Amino acid sequence: MFSAKNMKYLTGPFSANNPVIVQILGICSALAVTVQLKPAIVMGLSVMVVTAFSNLVMSLLRNGIPSRIRIIVQLVVIAALVIVVDQILKAFVYEVSKQLSVYVGLIITNCIVMGRVEAFALGNKPWPAFLDGIGNGLGYGMILVIVAFFRELFGSGSLFGFRIIPESWYLAEGGFYSNCGLMLFPPMALIIVGCIIWIHRSINKDLQEK
Amino acid sequence: MAKNTNSNSYILIYSTVMVVLVAALLSVVSLSLQSRQYANELNEKKQMILGSLSAQDQNYDEFINAYTIDKEGNKLEGEDVFNLLKDLKTAFEEGKFPVFEAKDGRLVLPLTGTGLWGPIWGYVSINEDMNTIGGIIMDHKGETPGLGAEIATAKYQAKFIGKEIFNGDEFVSIKLRKGGASKDNLIHEVDAITGGTKTSDGVTAMLHDSMEHYLPLLNARRQAKVAAQQPAETPAAENVSNEEKVENHE
Repeated sequence: MFSAKNMKYLTGPFSANNPVIVQILGICSALAVTVQLKPAIVMGLSVMVVTAFSNLVMSLLRNGIPSRIRIIVQLVVIAALVIVVDQILKAFVYEVSKQLSVYVGLIITNCIVMGRVEAFALGNKPWPAFLDGIGNGLGYGMILVIVAFFRELFGSGSLFGFRIIPESWYLAEGGFYSNCGLMLFPPMALIIVGCIIWIHRSINKDLQEK
Repeated sequence: MAKNTNSNSYILIYSTVMVVLVAALLSVVSLSLQSRQYANELNEKKQMILGSLSAQDQNYDEFINAYTIDKEGNKLEGEDVFNLLKDLKTAFEEGKFPVFEAKDGRLVLPLTGTGLWGPIWGYVSINEDMNTIGGIIMDHKGETPGLGAEIATAKYQAKFIGKEIFNGDEFVSIKLRKGGASKDNLIHEVDAITGGTKTSDGVTAMLHDSMEHYLPLLNARRQAKVAAQQPAETPAAENVSNEEKVENHE
């Protein structure tokens, strides 16, 4: 079950094969939901559930699917899973689901989900496919959390909604500090993702394009 | 296993079965979670109403008497206020205006409007003098975080407390002024949000347009109050009967 080969499917996407910073997939949602940490974590978990189970279901179905309507079948499975996740969030973590609003529904269009189904699940057994889905979901969520950490800290001066930078530092209270408004806008998320890619590639030299 | 998975009949049967199965699954999920989701929404509205009164520790059902009025301020029977709140804009257009009256005489009015990116809504509580704002709770669908979205923070909403919506007998509402509330009109104005001018204008319009619908009720209450303060006997009796009406409704 957890042989070295299987574990590689799980941990590969964390760094060397990360969907966001190596394959450059799922960037749009990484920009949209990373203003604060909490929605970023819930979004990462939701994507993980969807990638894991869509990989599992598609891998189970892989021998019976007519290849001509393969993409449609993938979309139906992914869309159904996303709707289930959305309904569950609305029922159990209503506050967070309000913050994520349309972005849960947009998991359907997240390239990572369909990319993994098409590239991996259709050619592998269910268990490795499931692990691959979990791994890719976690790899995606990891980047989201790093980006959200910087955006919330420098954009709002808080983490998980708790104030980190003291009120007395702010200009309004006679201090010297003010939040970086740009952090709250999507372009800054792109710049942070760019910085992460830069650092990641300077550590992993084999990823650098010649 | 040597069946042809690309024949037309196989594809047709496959897709039909798949769609039916998925539809059944989604219906089951939706039905089984529906009551929980509805309870969440209802609870959120009740908490917002209590929040605007700064009475979160009260029990909604005991503390609030909800009813609906028409555009003359008369009570309408048989309307479900929470049903109206789901689409407040339409309710306003149809001439149905939900009111939430607290046990202590304060009123909570629902608000609806449009910000920069999408709908904004909220609840404003008005003190017994039917003039002073006791508190306001606002929320939004997708205003810019850190700018327009500040309207949903307690810190910003606190600026509204103590402001007055009437200037003498004239309804002036509350204005969010860009560049800060002007000194000589401080009682009717609030500082607009820096960088959130469009959202601030939306809030100004929301406050004015929503509260305007309740003018008949507010004016009637104000007159009753003025009459009650004078020593004349008849208007005072009228005031009492008005209160009785409320009690009976509960």
